[in-house]
Amino acid sequence: MQEKNIYKPIKAKLTKVIEESPMIKTFVLVPDEEFSFKTGQFIEVTVENVGEAPFTPSSSPLETKQLEITVMKAGYVTEEMHKMEPGQYMGIRGPFGRGYPLDEFTDKEVLILGGGCGFAPIRSLLYNLKAISDQVRKVTLCYGSKSPVDCIYKPYIQELRDTPKFEVYRSVDKADETWEEKVGVVTVLLDDVKVDIPNSVVVVCGPPIMMKFGTKKLLEMGYPEDKIYLSMEKNMSCGVGKCGHCEMGNYFVCKDGPVFTYNEIKDSPNIWM
Amino acid sequence: MTAYRLTEQMWADHLAEVIRDFSVFAPIKKENSTDFEEITDKKLGSIYYGGNTPTTPLKAFFFPIKENVTTTNQTQPRILIGVPNCDLTALVLLDNIYLGGDLKDEYYQDNRDRTIIFGKDCDTIKESCHCTAYSIKPYSEKNCDISMSVSDGYFYLSPMSEKGEKYLDKFKFNQLEALDSLPEKVIQNRETMLANLQKQNIDIPDEIASRKGIEKENKVLWKKHATTCVSCGACSMICPTCHCFLLIDRKDFEKVKNWDVCQLPDFSRVAAGEDPLEKLYERLKYRYLCKFAYKPDMFNALACTGCGRCIDTCIGKINKNVVIIEACQ
Ligand SMILES: Cc1cc2nc3c(=O)[nH]c(=O)nc-3n(C[C@H](O)[C@H](O)[C@H](O)COP(=O)(O)OP(=O)(O)OC[C@H]3O[C@@H](n4cnc5c(N)ncnc54)[C@H](O)[C@@H]3O)c2cc1C
Ligand code: SF4
Ligand code: SF4
Ligand code: FES
Repeated sequence: MQEKNIYKPIKAKLTKVIEESPMIKTFVLVPDEEFSFKTGQFIEVTVENVGEAPFTPSSSPLETKQLEITVMKAGYVTEEMHKMEPGQYMGIRGPFGRGYPLDEFTDKEVLILGGGCGFAPIRSLLYNLKAISDQVRKVTLCYGSKSPVDCIYKPYIQELRDTPKFEVYRSVDKADETWEEKVGVVTVLLDDVKVDIPNSVVVVCGPPIMMKFGTKKLLEMGYPEDKIYLSMEKNMSCGVGKCGHCEMGNYFVCKDGPVFTYNEIKDSPNIWM
Repeated sequence: MTAYRLTEQMWADHLAEVIRDFSVFAPIKKENSTDFEEITDKKLGSIYYGGNTPTTPLKAFFFPIKENVTTTNQTQPRILIGVPNCDLTALVLLDNIYLGGDLKDEYYQDNRDRTIIFGKDCDTIKESCHCTAYSIKPYSEKNCDISMSVSDGYFYLSPMSEKGEKYLDKFKFNQLEALDSLPEKVIQNRETMLANLQKQNIDIPDEIASRKGIEKENKVLWKKHATTCVSCGACSMICPTCHCFLLIDRKDFEKVKNWDVCQLPDFSRVAAGEDPLEKLYERLKYRYLCKFAYKPDMFNALACTGCGRCIDTCIGKINKNVVIIEACQ
């Protein structure tokens, strides 16, 4: 049996809060105990006496002293998080679930389709891919936001654009006069990218509606069902396959996912809710 | 099946002895029902060994309505007497969920470990009892520690697990003469109960047929039955196999595990507001699919053991068996 109580969080000190956009903040956390995760796995984050919610760390899994979560203000728990300041403590449990199968990305082109706060897990994946960039052919990021102010990780985007093997395409639903990139829902970016489909895998992470139309378009483009990796979002409580909240047909998303291939879940109910 | 025969006096003496070290819970008869109560000296004589399902499902002893899962676990050893086989069978699923896989729920484990379960023989049937529809018998042959039958003033105890063997050994019951089988009268009662249940449940589809029927139904049937559902969640709270909970946060990062059920609104709502179970009829359908398709596939166990509690308790008078019979038509 595992040594740890699966329900007990360890404390993590909030050392820095980064405002990414009006609705999104990144929290830098230093856990009191050793803590590591694989990219795509998630953690349960507790605000003491308030509640708990699942987040996928947005930092590199190779960084072991601290981790970052990028949180969109969306409700009860996340609003409390947005009020927190450096020096305070959060609780963390995990890591939980199955992350991205990087072994299967070897010698492949990796296309990444992300929207909104779906960029959080993707950034962790990008850090990881950069560290092993000799093992992949190319990484293409297509990232959509509502408007230019909602675009997050601006300095990091610049850094990526300057990185060999990495390409970045961005779109916003609604542009302003400063915007020089594409306008439209994120799937329009797929018309511009050049990918060698038989030798590539694709990762999709974002709001359900984006995942739905993104997947549809990718299938039309000829991506095989088992090469499309989706990060599923479900209501969660325990994170460990006991509480039933995340049940999606024959899967507990927390334990069997959150990353699934389209092939694995295409027959499950309510995948796009 | 080996059985040890105790006289009424021997059993009474034994109970009087064990309540000093164990918390003992057993069914007590109420006006229209029976339910588990903690047995004190005064209640020793009022334990009800017959009947069928006590109101409280067995799961409540291992998965309490509320349990702090960040402080020290409970260790007080317990004895549960008079557990019907529908509830025992439900433990197979609960054990697979809470104790299966890499991550175990140590609170559930400790609650299981500190408890000796005595299975019983049902000697009455309620209208809603339908264990036999899913090939479950109205007496215990496994999934407990000791199987107990009461007949003609004697108590017959048969070990059903290693823990049960140890218990009988500890209290020297295994030094009594070992009977090769239960007496004819006990066997007769078991067979009569089984036959009566089979007769009562002749029209209820088994778990395989139920699944087929449920899977083919889309909106119409669920909408029809959901009209009287008030979303109280009672059907699932009281179900011996429903295992869902919500962790509630307290001071000092403490967490309390609380029963939660899919029939309540917001169970599956995500932050963006989307909710696959937003509509009542979707929740109703989901409950049946979870019991007859998802859980059996994921955990290789029955998720409805035919206890009938959801039927007895529903204030909307939704009868699960009527729904399933219609789905199978
Ligand atoms: C695997 C995974 C990874 C995710 N990664 C990220 C990420 O990196 N960044 C990000 O911004 N978002 C992420 N999300 C979404 C994030 O978890 C939700 O935005 C968050 O749960 C919203 O919580 P809330 O309480 O603020 O919202 P609410 O809308 O208030 O609550 C959401 C749900 O939680 C329930 N709930 C509310 N309060 C409590 C409470 N006190 N106790 C128990 N349940 C409660 C509600 O009933 C509701 O159904 C991820 C989700 C999943 C499943
Ligand atoms: S007990 Fe009846 S009314 Fe209550 S949630 Fe269940 S089906 Fe609906
Ligand atoms: S679904 Fe109803 S009959 Fe079946 S085990 Fe649960 S409460 Fe009992
Ligand atoms: S979050 Fe509890 S089972 Fe998945």
